[in-house]
Amino acid sequence: MDEPALITSAQHGDLDAFNSLVIAYQDMLFNTALRIMGDNELAADATQDAFLSAFRSINSFRGGSFKAWLMRTVTNACYDELRRQKRRPTAPLERDTSNGDEMDSPHWLADKSMSPEQKVEAGELEHAIQHCLDALPNDFRTVVILADIQGFDYSEVAASTGVPLGTIKSRLARARLRLRECLQGFWELLPASYRLDKEQS
Amino acid sequence: MTSFRDVELLSAYLDGQLSPSDSIRLESRLSSDPSLRAIMDDLRESRGLLRQLPQRRAPRNFTLTPKMAGIKPPEPRAYPAFRFATVLATLLFVATFAINSLAPAATPALSSAAQPAFGMGGGGAPETAPQEAPATQAPAPFAATLSTPTPEVITSLAPIPTQPADLVAPTESPYAKSAAPETNSGGPAQVPNEAPIPFVWQIGLAIVAVSSGASAWLIRRASERKFRKKWK
Repeated sequence: MDEPALITSAQHGDLDAFNSLVIAYQDMLFNTALRIMGDNELAADATQDAFLSAFRSINSFRGGSFKAWLMRTVTNACYDELRRQKRRPTAPLERDTSNGDEMDSPHWLADKSMSPEQKVEAGELEHAIQHCLDALPNDFRTVVILADIQGFDYSEVAASTGVPLGTIKSRLARARLRLRECLQGFWELLPASYRLDKEQS
Repeated sequence: MTSFRDVELLSAYLDGQLSPSDSIRLESRLSSDPSLRAIMDDLRESRGLLRQLPQRRAPRNFTLTPKMAGIKPPEPRAYPAFRFATVLATLLFVATFAINSLAPAATPALSSAAQPAFGMGGGGAPETAPQEAPATQAPAPFAATLSTPTPEVITSLAPIPTQPADLVAPTESPYAKSAAPETNSGGPAQVPNEAPIPFVWQIGLAIVAVSSGASAWLIRRASERKFRKKWK
């Protein structure tokens, strides 16, 4: 994929070129939105809004990391949605079983290659991590998602959030510290190696 | 005692974001401070857990449709030319009707305006004017003796309001009489009752307007179909 050429074409209104970029980045943007929002449907809506917003304002992209620029649009879309949620709170969109009961470890979060027990464990751990992420303030959550889940370096995180590098370092340290404290509460769900370390210490 | 500054340093150290000198200093502290090492292990584990989170596939494609992006089908190249031809032909067509409907109304006005000019300029006006000039300055008692003029005289002399009719009558009546048959026999403005724009032209303009309009509509429709088919 010749990204610069696609961006230039998209800036001239070529929707095909922009859609090629969408296909290349949609998983990453959706995952980021999913971790920020903590909900599949809301994350999908935020991702769609982000791509639409990106197409409309693509002429404002003046070079640099396109990935970081896109990430900024999705974080803004998520913040907008979160603000909307705050104004008009709605019931969480949990996936239900056929009986109408909420599932603790939804199958849609699990890997198909796992055994049923592993699926349950992985689902519960993921649920626990998401719970701890949700407990973080928005700014901290975004930084930790970009750095630790998406694997962005500090400069990319700074470009994606529009925050100075020093603030990124500080927010990341605080976010990790809070996550560590939160995850201690779910120690029985943590992988064996993690539990072993805790027991030894 | 571990401060938040230490946690910040440990976090940056984990990501390889510390300068070499800061890294060396921190490593020496880590080797001698078990509590600092424990915090770093916790931070590393937390980071490891987050990194292990599975990456989800997007539940659907987020590609944009032209409708979502507000993009309209491209205008065919020939479309503006056809559209212009349609508008122009329609305007001309309407103009021909306007001209043809106004023309008959204008004709009598032209002929009545031409009559006095014809009567005066063609005959005695220049000759009689000097002779009659003193008469206009006739004293009031003479004016009272004026007799009623004939209708022919009134018609021919109407544009010269200051002339007393009976003084003019003897000299003017021959001209009026001679001019009257000429004007009544059919001046050039009254004879042609046919429209200034031929009917054939109107038909031609109508054909051009309709055919170019239809062509514009057809090529636009074909372009829209092609556009919709592409994005289906």
